Order: sequence, then C-alpha cells, then structure tokens
Amino acid sequence: MNGLLAGLAILVIGDSHMVTNDYLITTLHNDLVEQGATVSSYGMCGTNAGDWVYKTDVSCGEAERHGTKPAVINRQARAPGWTIDQLITQNHPNLVVVEMGDTMAGYGQQDFPRGWIYEQVRTLTQRIAGHNLPCVWVGPPWGNEGSSYHKTFARVKEMSDFLAQSVAPCRYIDSTQFSKPGEWPTIDGQHLTASGYRAWGKGIGDALDRMVSAGEIKK
Amino acid sequence: MPSFRYLIAAIGMAALLGIGLAGSVQAAEGRLYPSGPPNGVAYLRFANLSAAAVKITSAGGALDLGTGGAQRVGEFDPVTPGTELTGTAAIGGRTAPVKVTLKANEFVTVAVTAGADGAPEVTLVREEPTDFNAQKSALALYNLDRQCTDARLTAGDGRTVVISGVKPGATGRRLVNPVNVALAVACDDKDAGTKTDLGAMAAGERYSVFVFAPGGVGRQAFGLADKMAPFRP
Repeated sequence: MNGLLAGLAILVIGDSHMVTNDYLITTLHNDLVEQGATVSSYGMCGTNAGDWVYKTDVSCGEAERHGTKPAVINRQARAPGWTIDQLITQNHPNLVVVEMGDTMAGYGQQDFPRGWIYEQVRTLTQRIAGHNLPCVWVGPPWGNEGSSYHKTFARVKEMSDFLAQSVAPCRYIDSTQFSKPGEWPTIDGQHLTASGYRAWGKGIGDALDRMVSAGEIKK
Repeated sequence: MPSFRYLIAAIGMAALLGIGLAGSVQAAEGRLYPSGPPNGVAYLRFANLSAAAVKITSAGGALDLGTGGAQRVGEFDPVTPGTELTGTAAIGGRTAPVKVTLKANEFVTVAVTAGADGAPEVTLVREEPTDFNAQKSALALYNLDRQCTDARLTAGDGRTVVISGVKPGATGRRLVNPVNVALAVACDDKDAGTKTDLGAMAAGERYSVFVFAPGGVGRQAFGLADKMAPFRP
C-alpha cells in the first residue's frame, strides 16, 4: 500500500465495465484500496447517466463491492438499481468517480446524439454537485472495431472529446490516452480482456494519484 | 415552466415505449444493450409570443402557455425523430394547426404569435445545436418579429454585438462566458435596443432570448434559461 489515496472515501459508479469480476470492479477497486482509499463500487449494466438520478430497473446485471470484500453480483432480469442520492447517503464519500460513456455514445447511429448526451451527463453531474462533492468522470476506452456493438475509434474519440467539455464541474480522465486504438483486446468489441481491465484500472488509479498530488482533489 | 412531455408522450414516444435498454432484438445480435437513445432523439418545445394565453392541444392532452416571462416557454421535450407530431395552437376561440416532424438531434421551437386580427400563427424555429459546453453558457436569440429584419443581441453598453444577422423566424446561438451582463435586442443600426435581463448566467446552462411584437406592434424581448425534460425510454 502506497497510501497516496489515504483519507479518501471514494464512491465509484459505472456501467457494464463495473459489473463482472475482473472488470473495473476488481481492478480499479483493488488499485484504489491498495493506495489507502476507502472504496465502494457500484455497477449497473446498460445504464445511462440519468439512470443514476431517476431510479431504473437494470436488465443485464448490477454489482456492488465494498472495501476488501468480494463483489456481490446480481444477474436478475430486473434488478432494482440504485440512485446516486441513495449511494451518497449510504457511503458518505468525499469523492465520486463516474465511469460511463459507451452506453451513451450512439455506436451504430449515424448522428452523434450531442444534446441527449449532454442532458444525461448534466443530470448526473448537477446532482453530484448538489451534494457539494468533487467528482471525476472516466471516459470510454478504445475497444475494438467491427463488433455487434458497432464501436468505432472515430466515435470513441468524438465521445471522449465531447465528455471532456461536458462533465464540469467534474474533472475528466481520458481513457483513450492509456493505450493506442485497438491495443487492448476485447471479448466483444467493447468489454476488455482481463489484461485490458488491469491496464485500464491502473491508468485510472494513476490519474487520480496525479490529481491528488496536484491538489486538484482535496482529501 | 410548462411541460409538454406527457402530451408528446402520447403522440410521439409510442415507439420508444416498447423498447427497453436490453431489448430482445438487440440481444439476438449478441449485444447486451443499445448505445444512445434507441431510436435517436430530438427535442421539441412551444413558446407563446402573443399578448394572450395560448393553449396547445394534441390527441394526448393540452398545454397552457401564459404571458408572464418563463410561463411563455415550455421545456424541450424529447420526441421520436421521423414521427409526425400534430395538434393545434389556440388563442381564444381561434386555432391554427401544428404539424412538425423532427430530424434526429434537432431542436425545434414551435413559436405561436398572433396576427393583426388576433388569429394564432405558428412558426417552426429549427436548429441542430453543437455548442454544448459545461464551462460556458450557450446564448441564443430567437427572432419572431417580422419587422425586425436583422436582429442582433448586444451586451453591456449596446456596442458589443454577441449575436447578429438573425432573420425573422430564425435563431442564432453562440457560447459566451458565464457572466451577469445587461442585454438588448436591436433590429438595425439606429435601434437603441429592447432591453432584457437574464441575471447571472451559469456555466453549462443554455439560454434563449426572444424578440417579438404581439399583433405586429410594440416590440418586446425576454430571456430565460432553457429546460430539457428528462429522457425516459
């Protein structure tokens, strides 16, 4: 344990990248714990940012994990979901980390849904800001092209750039900076292999370290 | 601020209602869920730029728009692009038809004005904005005054032009720093401008200033913060 993040109580929320063992709910969560943070992680598969404000049922799985305990994964067809208000009240974080992007980028759609994405993102960032909490938003990784998810490097870049200008007052972590396009192999074009999730989790953790060291995140 | 979402829901969102985030159609392709709004999305709002109350009616319901500031303008409601939306706009006992089909990602303001005889007239102001930015304020000028052939929005002493060249029935928009500044709408170089006040603009928010002349006389301007109704598939 290097203790760089000691004193931080971090609430991590995200989409399907947080709902399976060996995904970020394992790798990022472990990285933050090993750096001394108190960590609670939650994932809701297939959700958009607004789904964390307006309670929704989750149809492809949800997971939660606290500290060094194992993740509890619920694959019910209609899992009950959580709201950000509920999770902040339960966990008393002093930092919120949001991992989200792939579910909103409109992969396979000709037009990039800027207005809709912006409304989704603002809905969540304003709700977090209403709790007077700092937050960090983690954008999507490159993934691979040519899958049924219709993810393309061009759209990932467009989405990441758009999130960078849309998530304030949250700070932004650009996951595309951690690898070259296609460098991290995937199992389905979108979800990474275990080595990819290790690299992504480490990249996020290192970025948070830099923000703490630079005083951009106060303990 | 008046909401039209339930009215629109009845006539425009029907296709969306049957598609969940993890629909079986998508699962058949090996995907867990779609990315982005399943059928695309566009946004529609109504604005009353007349001297009297306006009632918008569709098969699904009704929306009343008053004449006091923010009461004049409804929220931008998410609608299904490519679906024809129909209804009527009424002032007193006189009506005008509303018929609009939006493109994906389009924002349409249905502006209701009154002619010299008091009858409602409907103008569709269409835009496909790209200026979403959480560190700036997005400021728009909507020109619904037919006599104002070249509307401009000025700031401060009136010599700083923020938006210019807005023709009747059109809109112009730009990103500005989030500040508290006096605004005015002018229609030509000799026009001292019609003043309006947005107060302190906030970063990330979007604002609309409308210029209009009820019944063709007495130019007025007012501004407000845009509201977007939540998208719920």
